[in-house]
Amino acid sequence: MRLNTNPNSLDPALITNVASASITAKIFNGLVRLNDNLQICPDIASSWEISEDGLHYIFYLNKGVKFSTGREVTAQDFKYSFERVLAKETRSPNTWVFEKVKEINVINDYCLEITLKKPFSPFLSMLTMTTAYVVPKEEIVRLGRDFSLNPIGTGPFVLKEWLPFSRLVLEANPHYFMSPPKAKGIYYKVIPEDLTAITEFELGKIDIITLSGQSYAMFNKNPERKPFIHKLKGIDTYYLGLNCSRFPFDNPEIRGAVAMAIDRKKILETFYNGRGRIATGPVPEQLSKWHAPIEIKFDPITAKKIISSISPNGINVTMYLSSDQEIVDIAEIIQSYLKTAGINVTLRQLEWTAFEDAVNKGEAEMFWLSWWADYPDAENFLFPLFHSSNFGSGGNRTRYSNIIVDKLIENGQDSIDESTKDIYYQQAETIIAKESPWVFFWHKNDYIIEQPWIKDMQEASIYTIDKGAKVYSVLKEQRH
Amino acid sequence: MIPLIIGITLAAFLLLKSLPGEPALNLVGVRASAEQIKQIRSELGDDKSVLIQYLGYIKLLSHGDLGRSYYTGRVVLKDILAKFPNTVMLTITAMMIAAIPGILLGFFSISIAQKKENLLSRLIDWITLGSLSIPVFWSGIILMMIFGLTLKILPPSGTGGIRYIILPAITLAIPAMSSLARITRTIVSDILKKPFIITAKAKGLKESRIAVTHVLRNAMIPIVTVIGLDFGSYLNGSVITETIFGWDGIGRFTMEAIIMRDYPVIMGCVMLGAVVNSTVNLITDIVYNLLDPRVRQDV
Repeated sequence: MRLNTNPNSLDPALITNVASASITAKIFNGLVRLNDNLQICPDIASSWEISEDGLHYIFYLNKGVKFSTGREVTAQDFKYSFERVLAKETRSPNTWVFEKVKEINVINDYCLEITLKKPFSPFLSMLTMTTAYVVPKEEIVRLGRDFSLNPIGTGPFVLKEWLPFSRLVLEANPHYFMSPPKAKGIYYKVIPEDLTAITEFELGKIDIITLSGQSYAMFNKNPERKPFIHKLKGIDTYYLGLNCSRFPFDNPEIRGAVAMAIDRKKILETFYNGRGRIATGPVPEQLSKWHAPIEIKFDPITAKKIISSISPNGINVTMYLSSDQEIVDIAEIIQSYLKTAGINVTLRQLEWTAFEDAVNKGEAEMFWLSWWADYPDAENFLFPLFHSSNFGSGGNRTRYSNIIVDKLIENGQDSIDESTKDIYYQQAETIIAKESPWVFFWHKNDYIIEQPWIKDMQEASIYTIDKGAKVYSVLKEQRH
Repeated sequence: MIPLIIGITLAAFLLLKSLPGEPALNLVGVRASAEQIKQIRSELGDDKSVLIQYLGYIKLLSHGDLGRSYYTGRVVLKDILAKFPNTVMLTITAMMIAAIPGILLGFFSISIAQKKENLLSRLIDWITLGSLSIPVFWSGIILMMIFGLTLKILPPSGTGGIRYIILPAITLAIPAMSSLARITRTIVSDILKKPFIITAKAKGLKESRIAVTHVLRNAMIPIVTVIGLDFGSYLNGSVITETIFGWDGIGRFTMEAIIMRDYPVIMGCVMLGAVVNSTVNLITDIVYNLLDPRVRQDV
């Protein structure tokens, strides 16, 4: 398989990018995991109970689950692993996963009780994240920081070799507690250049690649390759962020006019080759059990009227963006739509961390970003992004603040009952969509192509789903 | 050597710190509290003044330590030592492909041009000028398409033995060879106009003798300079070529570190560059010395 970048760490507590996370998912396990339909199912925990008040979670662990060193996993290991994430010296960026935990009790070797400070509906779903994987204490003590380079877990694969910027090789774990993986191993090749990856794929040296816009068009025209392209509906939202804390986008009317002024459907169909679904609110359809908010229709005339009534001489704004060519192209298209409506946009391209820093600090009036699901709960697209406690680096980069929305999201988090939770979230999303702190663009589709000899590949819309245990390659001599 | 290292590290350090960018943000991901960012910054020492950071780095350096990467936590020196041999191998192969043919091409082009202004000499001129102007990302991809995809005789990417090195080495050799051919041609045509050549001809020496003892010997100094310059620059890593062919060398390593604002790695690569360049210059000087008695007298 191809990796386009070098994973930075394989320590579950330190994961910040998808490349690292999807490999970590193959080396480790948690209490629970996601199946293909995004449902939470048993992993190391064979079953669990949640108390009626939603405060106590009791997990019953499978017996005989072993780390790849051969030692058996007990409840004590989970307690250690979770507390390790919270410990300051671990430097975990994902402490928020366990923020609501009051205490963790080991009832016996195979039974763990987690008590929360208050009911928190997304908790179980968050436990599917890499942050909640179990790690062996003795190895962490022995290796220190180097654990991140020599990970030891319970997963279907173990790390055999990792040559940064070159290759990473996984090998089947003989101690794996579920049915053993069908593949002997997975060989990841780090190839930064798209064209090189396609060449390697054409030569049959790589089995699976994700296609960019251009390569998708190329393979889609080839009748021999077309059947092996899989569409994956990404659980993500691409958006134009409008900074609600400063002029001019502190005025919801101007934000609405911006949303009206851009023909997103046309951009999606022409520039983006239809590789996505139009978004009308922040929550992707896989995570919402309600009707999506009503779409703001493309209406350049009304948009222009609104702008000229507020500011007859037009409005000047600066749009911040990271220096990715696709984003630059989209920004230029947005710039030309907004010019027609009377908003002059200056583009400011920055290196990624400088861009993020400016956006986090609220310096950017307008910016292009996307948000990807870490766990399958609508809360993942509401609380970090629109709750007023998360301004800046916490996720709410448009600095949107609405007491009613805050309250609705909190109520959703507190709800034990699924359907009441959904009602709160739907109300919150409706208000957000109406007030347009974001111009919602699309939920992206990914296209993955595999070789004809690859069987049972799992198409995972969240990086933790694919444990790599099902996919296998037909032996060379048996291929037709 | 020590003043050189201090000068270079100081310049690189100041330049890096004046660049926009916030390394801590690459470590915390997109959902982190301001306190977490602050904590990471302080652990990286990024919150201290540039001077204190620099002194800290020099102290580390004096123990022969280049520190650890911000992102992978790997020991920088170890990674550099693992990747540098790959770059050395690629450089030597490329220069071997480039040097002799480049010089010969220069000589050949002047020798036919001398006889009469003909099409072949013009053609060589255009070809060398053309291949000098082709960017490596284009020639690299074309080579990969031809030999990797269509003819399927060479692997398109990866680091390894002779089969893997051919395409990236040729990619690097093309501009080096062309610049050598052009430099040789210019120098030789200058030398041929010099009085001592006319004297030699008048003495009735054979053309081949003149070419070797008089022309080549005098032309070697500028040629060695060009080879030395290319050598030094390729040894610092050829970012684009290494990226296209997935060659696991210093160039790609440096580039990724710059993108990620991985300061310890960038500084390590800058140090390597300083050492490599001064070594190459030293060797070039020694070669001058061997080639030209006048240089020896100066010393």
